[in-house]
Amino acid sequence: MDLFVNQFKDSYYADDVENLFNDEFDASKEFSLPILELPACENPVEFMKAHDFKFDHGTTTLAFKFHGGVVVCVDSRASSGSYIATHSVKKVIEINPYLLGTMAGGAADCMFWERELAAASKLLANIVYRYKGYGLSMGTMVTGWDKTVNSDGSRLKGDLFSVGSGSLFAYGVLDNGFDYDMSVQDALELGRRSVYHAAHRDSASGGTLNLYHVKESGWDFIGGYDFDDLHWEYQDQPKPRITENVQPMLNIQA
Amino acid sequence: MPDPGSYNGGAVVAMTGKNCVAIASDKRIGIQMQTIGFEFSKVFPVTDKSYVGLPGLATDTQTLYANMYKLREEREIEPRTLSNMIASTLYEKRWGPFFVEPLVAGLDKNNQPFICGMDSIGCSTETCDFVVGGTSQENLYGICENEPEDLFETISQSLLCAVDRDCLAGWGAVVHVITPERVITRTLKARMD
Amino acid sequence: MEFLIGIIGKDFVLVAADTTAVISINIFKVDEDKSRDLNKHIIMLYSGEPGDAVNFAEYIQRNVRFYGIKNGIELNPKAAATFTRRELAQSLRSRKPYSVNVLIAGYDITKTTPHLYWIDYLGTSVEAPYVAHGYGAYYTTSFLDKHHHPDLTFEEAKILIKKCIDEIKHRLILNLPEFKIKVVDKDGIREVVI
Repeated sequence: MDLFVNQFKDSYYADDVENLFNDEFDASKEFSLPILELPACENPVEFMKAHDFKFDHGTTTLAFKFHGGVVVCVDSRASSGSYIATHSVKKVIEINPYLLGTMAGGAADCMFWERELAAASKLLANIVYRYKGYGLSMGTMVTGWDKTVNSDGSRLKGDLFSVGSGSLFAYGVLDNGFDYDMSVQDALELGRRSVYHAAHRDSASGGTLNLYHVKESGWDFIGGYDFDDLHWEYQDQPKPRITENVQPMLNIQA
Repeated sequence: MPDPGSYNGGAVVAMTGKNCVAIASDKRIGIQMQTIGFEFSKVFPVTDKSYVGLPGLATDTQTLYANMYKLREEREIEPRTLSNMIASTLYEKRWGPFFVEPLVAGLDKNNQPFICGMDSIGCSTETCDFVVGGTSQENLYGICENEPEDLFETISQSLLCAVDRDCLAGWGAVVHVITPERVITRTLKARMD
Repeated sequence: MEFLIGIIGKDFVLVAADTTAVISINIFKVDEDKSRDLNKHIIMLYSGEPGDAVNFAEYIQRNVRFYGIKNGIELNPKAAATFTRRELAQSLRSRKPYSVNVLIAGYDITKTTPHLYWIDYLGTSVEAPYVAHGYGAYYTTSFLDKHHHPDLTFEEAKILIKKCIDEIKHRLILNLPEFKIKVVDKDGIREVVI
């Protein structure tokens, strides 16, 4: 009888919020990670929508694996609507000397969860999955192993990823230039080039470009490049000609 | 479709100086966050001494400018008359407006500076210092609030600073400085991201 | 969902369009030519709502042809693009607007220059050295930013367009198996097989 009554006592959403933390497997308790307080209302998602929070969304981030390690490259623009809030966001989170996480989507979401992380991307995916449907906004790549985690809790392993509003533009350049056996210098240049072209075409990406190289011994920060300088530098160079016929590569691992 | 005024993006600003006026625009054209072209100025000459800036929905920018050819007469139109004409053209479409907010800049027959801006249904305001329009409006308002010494320098710096804080405008700019003798047109390099 | 692309080269324009005719979730046909020759030196590629697209393209085609017959002189690419733009802009504020995006590629025989115009369903006309319509534009414009230059030879352009098509076939979720590629130059319009 109690069971029957309880069914109607609370709203569907209130139940749901409770269940979030009372499930038999609770990653947040298991690994003593923080539990986020949800607004004291029937439906936190609707609450957030109703109050129209403007989060930063536009980004271009990319990471790809090649024989010499992993290249990670990101832009640094934070926009709110069409207003550019800052040109110097750090979108790579240096988790430890071997691990890098990238941020696309809600800056706060990515930063918070990755700072707490300091472990594998599987863990991150599990945690994020708990909050599926609650409006977390993040598309992150954890490298060292190079995997991506999205806010729906999906996790993909692969050789080459790009995340964010400018990712489509980045893929266009990246796919056609990618070769697993390329030199370190070529790989870094390809990463730089891909994000530069994305920033050029995607309004929500820009600022400075931050380039990292992850090796066995840990990651190296290669440099930060202002997109304005990069643009005029590339404008002055002759356009790279294509002659050979290489097929674009997807994330299909052998 | 979201707000037509910010669908294509763009920024236009006009300023007065001593016996001269300047009008400048960025050169981007895009579909929301996707940039399509880099050679799309929103400022057009109407007579030798008056220019019109048409920031807003690009299709209406082009339609309205095409209409201006039709309205040409045998004599030079005064900038004030021009602005009245544009205002009434816009008001004709009161319940289905062109989504542009035109700016007019020019020198009248006594070489006195004239600038004015209006909303999309033709409510015009004449000012004596500067007018702004487009997606970088708010940014421009803040920046333009200072005394111009060198008009070209002031308008260029104002526009470049404003578009650097606007996702939807930039990718180059063009400035026209209208003096009694001639019009000086210069293109500016801007950030391309 | 559809994809149109155009690239200006040294003295020609190379254009390509997918050939799938889709209605609802069905592929009806994979060899539909989504282009109309406006006159000997101007080609229009179109995409958009199935009925609208062909109707609009043929309306423009007949008007441009009629102009040539009536006046004994053909429209140049710029004029054809301006006319098309105006028709779309007028239609936008009518009871039933055309929902068609087009590319107009042409060779101006008097100025001996190639021209390419991107026009969307709103009537926004943009002239540019390389343009694309559809989701494919995201993947290809950045790539062309990297490789396009004004002195592009025909052979280079063919490689570029092939790369663009390959990229779309690989990356885009939509299935666009076939493309029709055409070139416009001083000799007129021809189909190109890559």
